[in-house]
Parts: sequence; structure tokens; C-alpha cells
Amino acid sequence: MSQQVLQMVKINKSFAGVRVLRDVDFDLQAGEAHAVVGENGAGKSTLMKILAGIHRADSGQIVWKGMPVEMPTPASSLRLGISMVHQELTLAQHLTVAENLYLGREPLRQKQLGIISRRSLFRQAEQLVHENHFDLDPSAIVLRLSIAQRQLVEIARALAAESEVIIMDEPTSSLSAREAEEFFQVVRRLKAKGVGVIYISHRLEELHEVADRITVLRDGQRIITTPFHSIEMSEIIRHMVGRKLSAMFPKREAKIGEEVLRVENLSRAGVLHGISFSLRAGEILSVAGLVGAGRTELARAVFGVDRIDSGRIFLLGKEIRLISPSKAIAAGMGYLTEDRKVTGLALNLNILTNVTLSNLKKLVSFGKINLREERKVAGQYATRLRITTPSLRQKVLRLSGGNQQKVAIAKWLFAQSKVIIFDEPTRGIDVAAKRDVFELFVELTRMGAGILMLSSELPEILGMSDRVLVMRRGKIVGELDPRHTNQEEVLRLATLGAERAA
Amino acid sequence: MKSSSKIQTLKASVEHFLPFISVLVLMVALSLSTPHFLTWLNISNIIRQHAQIIIMAVGMTFVIVSAGIDLSVGSMMALAGICGTFLMTAGVPIPLAVLGGCFAGLVCGLLNGLLISRLKIPPFIATLGTMQVFRGLVLEITKGLPVDEGIPRSFGILRNGNLSDLIPIPFFDLIPIPLVLILLICVLASLTLRYTRLGRYSYAIGSNVEAAHHSGIRVGTYIVLIYAVCGFLAGLAGMIEFSSLVSGQPTAGVGYELKVIAAVVIGGGSLMGGEGSVSGTIAGALLMAILLNACVHLHISDYIQQIVIGALIVLAVAFDQLRKRKMAGGGV
Repeated sequence: MSQQVLQMVKINKSFAGVRVLRDVDFDLQAGEAHAVVGENGAGKSTLMKILAGIHRADSGQIVWKGMPVEMPTPASSLRLGISMVHQELTLAQHLTVAENLYLGREPLRQKQLGIISRRSLFRQAEQLVHENHFDLDPSAIVLRLSIAQRQLVEIARALAAESEVIIMDEPTSSLSAREAEEFFQVVRRLKAKGVGVIYISHRLEELHEVADRITVLRDGQRIITTPFHSIEMSEIIRHMVGRKLSAMFPKREAKIGEEVLRVENLSRAGVLHGISFSLRAGEILSVAGLVGAGRTELARAVFGVDRIDSGRIFLLGKEIRLISPSKAIAAGMGYLTEDRKVTGLALNLNILTNVTLSNLKKLVSFGKINLREERKVAGQYATRLRITTPSLRQKVLRLSGGNQQKVAIAKWLFAQSKVIIFDEPTRGIDVAAKRDVFELFVELTRMGAGILMLSSELPEILGMSDRVLVMRRGKIVGELDPRHTNQEEVLRLATLGAERAA
Repeated sequence: MKSSSKIQTLKASVEHFLPFISVLVLMVALSLSTPHFLTWLNISNIIRQHAQIIIMAVGMTFVIVSAGIDLSVGSMMALAGICGTFLMTAGVPIPLAVLGGCFAGLVCGLLNGLLISRLKIPPFIATLGTMQVFRGLVLEITKGLPVDEGIPRSFGILRNGNLSDLIPIPFFDLIPIPLVLILLICVLASLTLRYTRLGRYSYAIGSNVEAAHHSGIRVGTYIVLIYAVCGFLAGLAGMIEFSSLVSGQPTAGVGYELKVIAAVVIGGGSLMGGEGSVSGTIAGALLMAILLNACVHLHISDYIQQIVIGALIVLAVAFDQLRKRKMAGGGV
């Protein structure tokens, strides 16, 4: 085949004593698209970030066009010719497309004074866009572009920097089907130009559009690298999942009671389509799905953060109309958000304040907050949840991720919610804290709460829940019994949908 | 581990009380350098002269804690004060007219709050606008002339009087009425910030408005309340200001917003929200007031006074930033 541009040899990396990459080998040819797949935490992103210079490998070797090179920094990686198109886009939104393409490399009219030649800036941008058949207007302001167009700008920027390797991290996760189709065209043209593409995706079904080879990572190790046409989809999934369920999950005897939450035909244009389900006291109902399947959107709609277009929500048998977070909480619902730092916790306030925030009225008599009572109950939760902190007056900002998560959970315990939505409850917390969180689930359900758990971690979905709903593109595509299913089946349903999975 | 955390708490409380410590150090230094400083007359004069700033700064504390800003306090003070004096010229008894002035301020504050919470206008812009609107209104309804005809002389008691003017008891002639008002408002505001939902939610909204919303707090309603408190106190400040000359001055309060914001910031309030306290604000306001007073006694020119106050603001915030950076560095 064509020549090898890049080789990574025996890459190792640990974070805080946890091995996340173990002797991983990887290579890329000019003009090929090499797909990298694996479950969350398999090490895909870390491997790519090492290549882009964001993380530094502990050991290993990177070979660029046959020459061993130093472990890259972000600047040296770009100089070599490696660009990363980020999941969270990194453009200067108020500038034009052309200005973004040449940011930091503007053509100058007068070198000493640094006067930019706008004319050649736009001419160069025009030429680049034209040569690559990009549907972009160089004079458009980035802020006004769609997500798909912004992604094109990122790719064009990589080309403007004359990159020979472009890393794409979940490039289609926020694109519509039509936009994705156009995007694949772009990738094919890049390949034809001789650019090597590393393609990270959760959407296995789209890989056949672009991938020449595929590498499967699992638990920080490379499992297999093979030409894409020589492997079956089911085999890829089997390689991805591989391991057994660990003893991570506490046993629980579910005593399932009355229905506590019922959602009927919930829709939100472009995001959720006709979602119906019910949740009962003492039950853990999980929602599985890929990135962008609409899980968080579902939680936000049920909790009243986002407006819904149609559908009804019943809590403890009573319909809640025009739902809002304050109504949802008053009716007995709690929502542990996916991103606790952005939407869950008031970081520069202390533990006490955060724990009692959503049910403060319980501590108020005649308009006065009973601070002694507040200290007492917050102290009880801190002990029960094993929150490790020198003082309840510690700012939440200064706690570890696991302890922050426990504070966020304590908040909903204190609110005595009957229905609690947990969105990615174990994201970014260590193993011991995970175990604590699961034990809490057991206790909550024993006390008669219903739990709706949204998670990307298949083992915890299968290990903890009574029923599993699978979402794909804003719809529920199936309901599974975790005792009679396995990760392959869930993943197949989530990637391919009901029709093709059957 | 234990002892280091003890040192940390000690350090934290020293930092917390820094504005007060600065006030005390300054007072001691001044008492030593001039015999005119530490007299009851001088101290009560400082209180009388700065009562309106201190009271407005208390209201601004709520606003800044909730990550807002109110640039319209100076104009609100004038507009509300003029409304109060109009009531007096119409024959309304003084106490009721004073309350009327406060109420006019409250209405102005409600308007600010509604612009910010309902129309989603950033507080800086909304109050920049109303600052002009309120000032224009005052000038229009007074035609730019002072309101003084028919105002009873006894209105002057509000700022110039002593407690003995209301309750004739010995020693009460030593207690300026503005001091009583300041103490009352500080205690009430402190308790509100600490013990009520309004106070607690101000911190929560200022710290993370998204989290507050997700916690079921009706953020919009509380924002309206916060600005209303600020307006109410601006109204009271206006009445105190106008009582000094027993007349309503339509141009009063120009530039006060910056002094008021400075007091909160020097007292440890953060414009990013979630931080600030009534006691800190009082200390911040007193620090400025005493420095100005000191400049007078030490015969330092007006020009230098401005430099001193400006430097104080910059130093106070620089210190605060330094402390935060150190904390972030040492944190988990």
C-alpha cells in the first residue's frame, strides 16, 4: 500500500496510578482512514491526546515518516503536521471563517508592524475552500454557522496548517443524517489527497462509509488491528466488550411497588420523539444509548429544564402540567445532572449550603433558616455517604470528584425525592466512590424511591438495573431485561436500532 | 494534617476580618497622629456624612453576591428622595413621607429586577440604562430645581439629629439617628443574608445560576426581590441625603454608584458572585470614609484623596485575587 506516515510504539500512560494505556501500538498510512473504537474508558481519547501533545506518554516511541521524534507538545505536534478536530469545537466564534483558518498565521502586508493583509487572507481562504469543495463562505461569521459547517472550518483549518494527519474525535455526534453524508464525502476527498485520518467514533454503523482499517481498544490495551472489510460488526462488538461483569455491584432485592413516574408520548422537536415509559417505587430503570442518542435531553425534559412540545408527565399518579424544575422538585423529583460542575453544584459555596439548597424550606420556620438543624442533617448525610472533608464549611470546589458527587447526591436525599434521575452518576469518580454510589442506590430503592439511571457504562447498566431502555436518535428502540441480555445486545440495539439488530 | 488545617482556618479568619483589622489599624494610627480624629463629634460626623453610602452599599451587597451589579443606585436615590420630598410638600407627615421615598426606591428596584430577569438584559446594561432614565425623570419632574418649599425643618433630624430628638433620655443626645438606622439595617440585612431563603439563594444564584435553577429555585423571582431590596435602601439613602439640607436636590447622588460598589468590593464582595457579606461591606465603606476624614485632618488635598481611594480599591482586590490564587494552587 502507500507509505506509513505515523507509528506509535508501546505507548504507556497512567493517571494518578491508574494504567490507562498499556503497550499500545498504532500506525497510520498516508491516505487511509483508520478507525479507533472501544467503550468509554478504553483509552481512545488518551491515545489521541498523546499524539496531539495534550498528554505526555510515560513511555513509548512515536515515529514520524520513519524518523523517531520526541513526545510531542501541542505546538510541535502541529508543526509535524498533526491536527485534531475536537469534539468541543475550538473556534473564535466572533471572527470570520477566513480569520479562523489562518489564526496565528495571518498573511502580513507589513512584517515589522504586523499589519494583516486582509485581501490575501481572504484570497487564500477562498482558494483553500474552493480546492477542497467545502461549502463555506470565507467571510461568514463563525457564530452564524451550523455545527456541521463549524466542523468543516476546523477541518479546513487543519488543511491550512498543511497537516498530513487529522484526528477526528466523534465527528458525527452532533450532525444530522444528511450532514453526516456530506461529511463522509469530505473525509473521502481528504483521503484521496493523501491525508491520513484517525477516526474515533461510537457509531459503529457509520464506519463502513470511511474506514480502511480498524483498531479496537479495551481497558487500555490494543485488542486487534485489521482491515475493515475483513471483520464482522458482531466481532468488533465482541472485542469491545470482552470482559465479565465485576463484583462491583451490590446485591439488591427489589421490592417493586406503585408507579411513581409515568411519561407519555414526550416529544421535543428534533430531539425526542414520542417517548413513553413508567417507573415504579423501588425500581432502577436504566436508559442506555450512544453519545447523542438523547438521554440527557430526556432527563432535562422530564425535569422541566427544557420545554416539551407534547406529551404528559405524571408523578405519584398526578399529572404535572407545564413542568419546571421547581414544580418537579415540589412533586418529589430529583435530578443529578451529568455535569455536576456546570449544573449541579454551587462550587464556591460550602457543603452545607449545597446539601440543603433544593429543599431549604424544610429548615425554615417563620422565614428563618435553622442553621443548627442544617448543620446536624448535613453532618448526618456526610457521615452516611462517607464524604471525606475536614469541615462541612469546606467549599465544594476543593473536594475530590467522588466527594463532590456525594454532595450532589446528598442534596437529593435531603430533598426526599421519590423519583431521582441520575445522569452518568459515576462519571469521573474513582472505584471506591462508585461502589459507595451503588450502595446508595440500593438504600434509596429500599426506602421506596424509583431511580432513573442514564449511563454510558454498560457494565453498570446491566449490573444495577431492573429494566433497561435503549435509546437511539431520540427514540426508545427497545426494552431489555438485564438478566436475559448482554452488552453485545444492548450495544447492537443502540448502534443499529431495532430493525437491523433483529 | 490536623494542625495545618487549624493554621488554615486561622489564616482564613484573619483574611475574613482583614477589612475590620484595616479599619482598626487605621483608627489607631489616626488617633496617634492627630488629636482631632478620635472625638465622638468627629466619629459621628463621619457616620452622618457617609450614612447614605453605607446604606446603599448594604443593598448593593445583595446584588453583588448574586453576581449582579446596580449602576442606577445614585439616580434611584435622587428619584426616590425627590418623591419623598414631594410627599412632604403635599403635607404628608415626615415618617410616612420617608417610607414613601423608600417605597419609590423599591419600585425603581423592581423595574431593574424585571428588566434583568424577564427580558434577560445583563445587569450592567439594564442598570446603565435605568441610571440615565431615573436621572432624566428627576430632572424633568423638578425642572432641575431643588424641592424645598413647604418641607418642615424637622425633616433635618433624620440626618442631623440625635436619638434624644425622638426619645428624650440622657446619653441619647450622643447617638446620631443615622447611626441607629445603619445599625438597624446592618443587623436586619446580615440576618437576612444568613438566615433567610432570600439571602441563601442570593449566594446560590451568584455562585452558579444553572445549579440554582436545577435546584428548583425560582431564580427570576429572587432576582427581582434582590434588586427591590437594593432600590428600597437607595430610597432610604435618598431621604437621609436630602434631610441634611432639608431640600430635595435633583443632581444628588451622581457618581455614588462607584463609591457604593467600591465599598462592597473592598469588603470582600466578588463581582463574579457568591461572595460578600454585610459586615465586610460596612468595613469597606468605613475604610473609605475614615481615609477621607483622615485626609481632611492631615490637610491632604482633594486631588490626593482621589488617588488614595483609587489605590485602596485596587489594593483590596489585588489582595483578594492573590489569596484566591494561593488557595487554588494549594487546593485538591
